[in-house]
Amino acid sequence: MSKISIPLGPQHPGLKEPINFGLVLEGEQIDKATVNLGYNHRGVEKAAEERTYIQDIYLIERVCGICSHSHVTCYITCVEEIAKAEIPERAKAIRVLVGELERIHSHLLWLGIAAYEIGFDTLFMYVWRDREHVLDCLELVGGNRVHYSINTLGGVRRDITPEIKAELLKRIDILEARTKYYTTLATEETTVLARTQNVGVLPKDLGIRLGACGPTARASGIARDVRKDEPYLIYDKLDFKLITADTCDVFGRVVVRVLETVESCRIIRQVLNYLPEGPISIKVPWKIPEGEAVNRYEAPRGEDIHYVKGNGTDKPERVKVRAPTLANYHAVPHMLEGGWLADVPLVIAAIDPCMSCSDRALVTDRAAARSAVWSWEEMRRNGIEFYKRRGVDFSKVTLK
Amino acid sequence: MSDLELEERLKKRLEDKFGGDILEMAVQRRRRLWLTVKPEKLVDMMRFLYEEMGFNHLATITGVDFGAELGALYHTTDQHNIITVRAKTPRANPSLPTVRDVFPGTESYERELEDLFGIKIEGLPPGRHYPLPDDFPPGQHPLRKDWKLTDAYPEPAVKEAK
Repeated sequence: MSKISIPLGPQHPGLKEPINFGLVLEGEQIDKATVNLGYNHRGVEKAAEERTYIQDIYLIERVCGICSHSHVTCYITCVEEIAKAEIPERAKAIRVLVGELERIHSHLLWLGIAAYEIGFDTLFMYVWRDREHVLDCLELVGGNRVHYSINTLGGVRRDITPEIKAELLKRIDILEARTKYYTTLATEETTVLARTQNVGVLPKDLGIRLGACGPTARASGIARDVRKDEPYLIYDKLDFKLITADTCDVFGRVVVRVLETVESCRIIRQVLNYLPEGPISIKVPWKIPEGEAVNRYEAPRGEDIHYVKGNGTDKPERVKVRAPTLANYHAVPHMLEGGWLADVPLVIAAIDPCMSCSDRALVTDRAAARSAVWSWEEMRRNGIEFYKRRGVDFSKVTLK
Repeated sequence: MSDLELEERLKKRLEDKFGGDILEMAVQRRRRLWLTVKPEKLVDMMRFLYEEMGFNHLATITGVDFGAELGALYHTTDQHNIITVRAKTPRANPSLPTVRDVFPGTESYERELEDLFGIKIEGLPPGRHYPLPDDFPPGQHPLRKDWKLTDAYPEPAVKEAK
């Protein structure tokens, strides 16, 4: 049979983010796969050099929509290390708390997407309904559903009150119960098993050689987790399991993520009960001395590493961001080769890729430098006007 | 020094093996060792770290503009410690060898050095731009300190108001 080459992406190759795969097919089987990146480069690293350390917190938060806390915590640990600032224990605990809530959010979101790629839409709807609980928790703690901006130089911006603590504990119980249900479902339901077992195989030695990280690596039996290997913040005081699987396939990646979500629930309970009294932040001078630091952080998708170089001013000399997805990309062609075309979206989704994270940052929109706060009513009115100009009239619709 | 015993041991091992090829080396804190190596010895050092010392994960490569020189920082880790290997190359004709033979998963990091810093990576097979677009003006490298946004995207001339 003659071979056919087809491009997959950059428009929507399984996920709604731009990446291009070149696939060489023999029938429906994949003979060779290559990956092309770079459709989402925004120049964040250059932009970070032109902003102050405080402004960079909010810029780096926007490297990714889901791991926003991971990137900022990693960046800010580097800055605080250069400034020799020791942040209060309570602030460290709150950073861990938000980090684990974020992990639950990311893993549940991913489970929904995986279910959608499998074609199991009921699971997708169920998971995303329950994901609202963790988004509510994040909103409660940080004031926002996605970019919670809890970090600031020298600590965190918001404290955990007893009321918030009580509400979080209540929600975590619900989330844990639901996740345990999904664990059973994902490991016993025949639809899931049929679509995930022996699909997208990444052997352990290959995973190590290609530098895979996070749940992708752990599903191939590689026990890598920065929280265990190089405990940061208060992870050395917490009791949690490092989850691995030895099936090396998409099924293993599902199992690792659902079990990790249960572990995160346990961590959150421990952190809330541990929460030491004291201040939540200290003052750090705006000018950061000369020096450099490199730190790692276990983001939901894997090892996140940041390098920061200070030059004595209030702006960094260099900020380097390496998101976990970029480390995992190199493994994807190997997972695809020998597999079937129909499994491609699922295999790609199984590393939980984030294209924005990988391509990061260049062009700024100087023209749109104006800013304004809109009320809900104003936003709604603007939306109605926007569609009216395009011939659709929503003004008769009433909101309940 | 007792609390940095492990780090000092790592330092000693590298000193014994590479001696004069290491230009500077310092233990920064617990779990962090920084060193600068002559670029011609870079691949040998990476291979030694990988094969002999268990530093089997190259977390990333950071390009840095040092002014007269450009450099790359190779952050290698054995999961518990990070050894950062610096290699510097003159700005006039920057070039570094590829470390792909040791760490195969580093192609995108090396392409970043080529695109964003203009460091020629010897031994890297020809390929597409990453992460810059294919039609980015050639010879421009955005992460160099002297590069400005307007070099690649000149601001349109302001039109006279009628």
